[in-house]
Amino acid sequence: MKRRTFIKRSGLASSVLFVPNFLKAHNELWPANLGNKKLVIIQLSGGNDGLNTIVPYTNDVYYKNRVSIAQKKQDLLLVDGEVGFHSALSNFKNLFDDGYVTIMNNVGYPNPVRSHFRSTDIWQTASASNEILKTGWVGRYLDDVVKDPVGAIEVDDMLSTMMKGEKVNGIATKNARLLYNTTKEPYFTKVLENSKDKHLSEHNLGYLYKTAIDAKSSASYIFEKTKVYKSSWEYPKNAFGKQLKTVSEFINSGLKTQIYYTSLGGFDTHANQINAQKRLLNTYSNAIAAFVNDLKNAGTFKDTIILTFSEFGRRVKQNAANGTDHGAANAVFLMGENLKNPGMFNAPSSLLDLDGNGDIKYEIDFRQVYTSLLKKWLRTDTEAIISGTFEPLDLV
Amino acid sequence: MELEKIFHLYKRAGFGTTLTNAEKAASKTKKQVVDDLFQSSTKITPLNVPINEIKALLKNNSGKVSKDTRMQLQKLSRKKLLDFNKKWIYRMGTTNEQLRERMTLFWSNHFVVRDRNIVYFQSFNNTLRQHALGNFRDFVIAVAKEAAMLNYLNNQQNRKKKPNENFARELMELFTLGEGQYTEKDIKEAARAFTGWRHNFKGDFAFREKIHDFESKTFMGKTGNFDGEDIVDIILGQPQCAYFISKKIYAYFVSQEVNEDHVQEMANIFRLNYNIAKVMHHVFTSKWFYDKSIIGNKIKSPTDMLVGMMRIVPYKFKKNKELVYVQKLLGQELLNPPNVAGWPGGRKWIDSNTMMVRLKLPSVLLSDGIISFDVKGEFEDSLTEFNKKKNVGRKLDVESDWNFFENEHKKSSQAELKTVVLGGNLQEEAKSFMDSLEKESKTEYCIQLMSIPEFQLC
Repeated sequence: MKRRTFIKRSGLASSVLFVPNFLKAHNELWPANLGNKKLVIIQLSGGNDGLNTIVPYTNDVYYKNRVSIAQKKQDLLLVDGEVGFHSALSNFKNLFDDGYVTIMNNVGYPNPVRSHFRSTDIWQTASASNEILKTGWVGRYLDDVVKDPVGAIEVDDMLSTMMKGEKVNGIATKNARLLYNTTKEPYFTKVLENSKDKHLSEHNLGYLYKTAIDAKSSASYIFEKTKVYKSSWEYPKNAFGKQLKTVSEFINSGLKTQIYYTSLGGFDTHANQINAQKRLLNTYSNAIAAFVNDLKNAGTFKDTIILTFSEFGRRVKQNAANGTDHGAANAVFLMGENLKNPGMFNAPSSLLDLDGNGDIKYEIDFRQVYTSLLKKWLRTDTEAIISGTFEPLDLV
Repeated sequence: MELEKIFHLYKRAGFGTTLTNAEKAASKTKKQVVDDLFQSSTKITPLNVPINEIKALLKNNSGKVSKDTRMQLQKLSRKKLLDFNKKWIYRMGTTNEQLRERMTLFWSNHFVVRDRNIVYFQSFNNTLRQHALGNFRDFVIAVAKEAAMLNYLNNQQNRKKKPNENFARELMELFTLGEGQYTEKDIKEAARAFTGWRHNFKGDFAFREKIHDFESKTFMGKTGNFDGEDIVDIILGQPQCAYFISKKIYAYFVSQEVNEDHVQEMANIFRLNYNIAKVMHHVFTSKWFYDKSIIGNKIKSPTDMLVGMMRIVPYKFKKNKELVYVQKLLGQELLNPPNVAGWPGGRKWIDSNTMMVRLKLPSVLLSDGIISFDVKGEFEDSLTEFNKKKNVGRKLDVESDWNFFENEHKKSSQAELKTVVLGGNLQEEAKSFMDSLEKESKTEYCIQLMSIPEFQLC
């Protein structure tokens, strides 16, 4: 069958019926007291080697365990008498020197899991290592506080567990126009034409129609609101740079969305780590610096916090392939204009007291970081969002 | 038996049937139709991709393989797992042993594993198939001895001197009793009983006496020199176990809104001798399975969706990777469950993004539609691979057999087509919607029916 015929025939199109209500709907549902604070979450996917990123250059144990891949002191961007940054992080170092970065060392959780899947699941759902949660922590924030899918956007085409709540899911897009166009295609229009207050029962069919309407409504809100503003800032020409540029355009065009999530992949450096990690950190550093400066320029950086994490760090002892294997606790970065404790939040691991696998033990539970951001930045209680009680840290 | 009910039965207990077959069954009683369904699944047909190459690599090894061999194994295995994924989908889309395959799929989301070794994974999958309608006690023990399970839940590391509780915990929490039905002490004692349950490099079960804890254990109020099988027997002695499994079966096959009376009814039967076929037979012959509130109120899993379409219009992915692409977009890469609890299912399948993909998919697979979403990469991807994502509109290389559909529906009316694609239990509003669709040609009508939310239900 010819697809064109299908489009032509079924696209009889009175999409006019639906458009006017969408923007209004989001205005009406949006909680009045949310404020304009933004949180941007970045996952360095694959497990970044924190030890070769924030390098303890005065620690002999580091050099003994990293015979062929250790970063030499003369190559580092020195921070203090204890650590220096990887040479690829010069733009990141500038942000750090300006007081825009807090680095937390040894962040993790008890009984660490070394599977990418499971550990990502743990970070995304904010669970304990032997606890299975079906919803993500950002999803639960949507359930509890925002109650609207456009409260959280993942800059990707697929929605991660982190963004899924029990009742409300965030939405994924890295191209607002593309998403919008998808909801204008004939099969979609047809569905919505038919859905005017029908089917919206408790029956599963009602749920499907409601989701389709939400999708259309969210896509239309995001597109309409962001279509005019284009960032003129220069970003690195790669996928990650593009993703951050999209986030900046979303924020700077006044989209109400509070939480953004995106990721940079490639950190699973089991072999020939030196060059691979150099390119990755360079990509991260350049894009994040462009992003921060873009936001600063637009006056939105003061209301934005950027959290960067990885599902785990890597083993202290390098492997035989000039790489590193999956480890445990790792460094986490927080960026913003008014941080309570810019600089090194805590000392790096001595590397003398490792766990049974030879990995760094956690000192800060990652759920303390989430709790701090929820309580002190997004100003909400965490009872319905974080399973368990975690002491907030003095971060923001 | 009414057509509507036959389609319902085949969609839930299998993956769908044709109008021709449904009409043949229509002259039979419900019991006869259900008996036929069981009859066609008496045989056990293992699902295998050729793995001689890999077996040869494993054969003369005690576990200490060279790095080269290991790399070679991983590479081969990755490729074979893709083959297996595709073969499994086609098996479900074409087999006459529908009930056995449906049960296999169900159990694969109950006894959940991930394994990158095709030999271990394939063996595990066939163990599910073998016991899918058998005795639950034998099933649990067989699963506990599979390499894929021993690895996934770390029983391979469970030693007398350093017990690992992972398997013992999930055995009770997810596989047999449910949360809160045991104490932490029970977990510790059960873990001791499973020490030494290991597999060798080839993937065969190998009990290691040296690291097994032969001392006395106290588990759920009983004391003895228990080993793993004793633990399973004690667990199955609890009425809770039959209840827990019955409830899970009910939620999957009938409705996530559980009717306690019906579950209790099932549990009473299941408890007698843990015969899986018996309890399933009871479900499919019960009156409540065919209630109006049940028919057409289950959200299809992505696998149901892919396979269900295949039962109406047979199609094939020419590239394995494109099957995985579609599975990922829909949120169910068959061999990669999110965690040991498996996919939660139901409404959890649906978010704005998967909804868009679902509505679009029939035209993408069956009529050259264009799709422009990227999937997330693998954790192992390099930066170069990460940078390749570009949102380009793409057509998938899919071969569809519309001749089969046209032969099957030469004489079908539109109403019959509707029943085949969507089932019979449509809400009143939906009916007028169907009538508004263009139905100049049957193929077009079919795709339109598949592109509406009603098709997401079965």
